[in-house]
Amino acid sequence: MAEKFHTELKNLKTETLEMAHLGRFMLRTAVDALIRQDPDLAESVIVRKGEIHDLEVRLEEHCYHLIALYQPMAKDMRAIACTLKMISASLRIGRYGKVIAKIAKELADRPHIANLMSIPHMADLAIDMVDDAITAYESDDINLIKDFSARDDTVDALRHSIFREGITYMMEDPKNISRCTHYIMVARYLERCADHACKIAENVHYMETGERIEIK
Amino acid sequence: MSESAIITTNNVNLWYNEKRALEAVSMKIPKNTVTALIGPSGCGKSTLLRCFNRLNDLIDHVKITGEITLDNKNIHTPGTDVVLLRKKVGMVFQKPNPFPKSIYENVAYGPRVHGVKDKADLDRIVEQSLRHAALWDEVKDRLNDSALGLSGGQQQRLCIARTLAVEPEVILMDEPCSALDPIATAKIENLIDLLKKDYTVIIVTHNMQQAARVSEYTGFMYLGKLIECGKTVQIFEHPREELTENYITGRFG
Repeated sequence: MAEKFHTELKNLKTETLEMAHLGRFMLRTAVDALIRQDPDLAESVIVRKGEIHDLEVRLEEHCYHLIALYQPMAKDMRAIACTLKMISASLRIGRYGKVIAKIAKELADRPHIANLMSIPHMADLAIDMVDDAITAYESDDINLIKDFSARDDTVDALRHSIFREGITYMMEDPKNISRCTHYIMVARYLERCADHACKIAENVHYMETGERIEIK
Repeated sequence: MSESAIITTNNVNLWYNEKRALEAVSMKIPKNTVTALIGPSGCGKSTLLRCFNRLNDLIDHVKITGEITLDNKNIHTPGTDVVLLRKKVGMVFQKPNPFPKSIYENVAYGPRVHGVKDKADLDRIVEQSLRHAALWDEVKDRLNDSALGLSGGQQQRLCIARTLAVEPEVILMDEPCSALDPIATAKIENLIDLLKKDYTVIIVTHNMQQAARVSEYTGFMYLGKLIECGKTVQIFEHPREELTENYITGRFG
């Protein structure tokens, strides 16, 4: 029975990784659509909303089945607890991708202000964190997440800087208000994605060591 | 373990003839708690349990070294009254083993042996013990019926009542639910939870979920050694030893 359980747990982790990669893909593609002002690319993200929702329901149910049928203990229990968090975080990241894709469609008609300010750079940093969190979950390697606190601080600082820059452009010309508000919102969503990466990292740390940490 | 210990073992070793069954076991059993001993078959958990009331004395060619104390007194010092020790440290076995007597007599037997003669006293002890064992309501109208007519779960609770009747400090349980169905098991588990208010319970179980459900402390044994002992939550959530981790996650055993 233990062998069957461990095979199922492995399958669960594989499927959860697929979901995490889908969430990450939606975010990356949405940012690319925003940068390239490509409404078709943006639409290709929006249509995957249902898929990631279905995965959330199916994988959560898989977790509950494993708990109900096998009463996992120790690292197995922690792996399922971490997987449940991973599923929620992946859904959130995918949904932020969808929201950014909608903004990308709206902002495709006119050139960007100031080349999107620091949004492309901020997106790279946030998505790198998501990548490392996913890889840490996949490979059980907590070294990948050890500098997350500092990386999250950088992402937070960029959000603040985009906010201030956006306000400056708005004050210069009220016609910029709508577009810059969208930029500020995108920066906010990217910051939230980095926060979700931190949450995944905290849970991977718990899965691996049994100890709780808080990435501030 | 911050609570005061009722039983301690210090470097206990035990041999059955040449075969070493316990190896340097040192642990503390905190008072008024439930401690579970888990481990694969043959790891020494029942042997360790039987050390606590010297039941191993009844087996030929057993040699024990090290120290076991109950209430800070070494239970192996010459002159230890073993009957009194077993009154203080009662035991419930795997298979319910009521005497072929009435329900009343099963419970009254122990107090009678220890000198209680007054009928009113015996009546009071029988009722109180059956109530403590959560059996009173089911048997109060048929106390004179044979104990052998009870269901397996009821028989096991009767055995617990019989143990309680001599007012022990510690109750040892060796796989008390392994012969019972899930409903009877749930009743015994509820009972164990109630008993810890007044008694210290040490339970040997193969069922890890049961250990997790009923105990506050868990000791994991393997090949005669106590590998790890600690709070049950810690053992089942993040054990310190890899061997414990592998056992409780079903990777061996």
